[in-house]
Amino acid sequence: MANIAAQRIKREFKEVIKSEEVAKCAIRVELLNDCYTELRGEIAGPPDTPYEGGTFVLDIKVPETYPFNPPKVKFLTKIWHPNISSVTGAICLDILKDQWAAAMTLRTVLLSLQALLSAAEPDDPQDAVVAKQYKENNEMFQITARHWTNVYAGGPNVNKDCDDKIKTLADMGVEEHQARVALSSYDWELQRATEQLFS
Amino acid sequence: MSGVTENLKSSQEPNKERQDPDSSDTPDEEKKDDRIFECNICLDTAKDAVVSMCGHLFCWPCLHQWLETRPNRQVCPVCKASISKEKVVPLYGRGSSKQEDPREKVPPRPAGQRTEPEPGSAFSGFGFADNGFHMSFGIGAFPFGFFTSTFNFGDARPTAAARGTQQHMEEQFLSKIFLWMAILFVAWLLLA
Repeated sequence: MANIAAQRIKREFKEVIKSEEVAKCAIRVELLNDCYTELRGEIAGPPDTPYEGGTFVLDIKVPETYPFNPPKVKFLTKIWHPNISSVTGAICLDILKDQWAAAMTLRTVLLSLQALLSAAEPDDPQDAVVAKQYKENNEMFQITARHWTNVYAGGPNVNKDCDDKIKTLADMGVEEHQARVALSSYDWELQRATEQLFS
Repeated sequence: MSGVTENLKSSQEPNKERQDPDSSDTPDEEKKDDRIFECNICLDTAKDAVVSMCGHLFCWPCLHQWLETRPNRQVCPVCKASISKEKVVPLYGRGSSKQEDPREKVPPRPAGQRTEPEPGSAFSGFGFADNGFHMSFGIGAFPFGFFTSTFNFGDARPTAAARGTQQHMEEQFLSKIFLWMAILFVAWLLLA
């Protein structure tokens, strides 16, 4: 790895550890290997959003050309968000693509992602199904996102209705996550989700 | 985990300083002062420092590489203001350049541009100063030039200095001296 990239990650790593956001448990960074190319990030779900109370784990890969090119970041924790793929965790955020600037750091990237959780951009979606629900049935989107936060990110809000419907499908032999995806995509209508799963 | 790594690092640092006599001489406060001269790209103290028009400091090699990475989108890495190679200002400190190896791949830092200082502004010459064309017609003998008219073309005399500045005060002082000289001259003519 180019020297400048490793040097910078080292410095940034110290900066993140000292930052006040870490003290408030809003963000966290861990090293995965000694050569500073792979890191694990963590962000707390912002308050007053369906993601509140959840902890979202991110996979951060630092390219050799860092900081001239952005780090590759994706969600490892499954999340229901218009700009994040519910399948792969890929993120649609301009600063991770063409709007990247060399003075941005791990800290600012994590804070930007946290901001993305509080302010979705449904007109520039990564996950079309989620974006459609966000725009057309926002109430259902909130319920779904809160449920996913509860199940995958350790959020506190249990939704009995969702759990029951998933259980119904699971009893029919559908894998739990598959059932959750089908129900989430069809606004929690058991009938349509079942049809889609068994068609 | 992250906390542990940090602790390990801080416990290693004192050993390092004992081995290196140079670094033990520098007090911590000086290191803190250095932080404001950190390059915004490599986060190290800026080498071959240049500053953008928006005031952000970089190493020239770092900024050059950033501009090369995105040739069609040249923006400041900090504030995203438009920047270009031609519009960065190099910073020359005292005796800083000799320690560095010449970098072969990076073109030399753009040179500083030096503009000549403006000529003394209180009295700007006899009519033809500053590319302007001044023409005066006078009828009658000085000081009785009652029918005097003056044409000024392309008048580009320097604007008056701002109120309160050193230059403004000097200009006021000079204009008073000239006024008194004129009055004395007229008085002498009348008396003679």
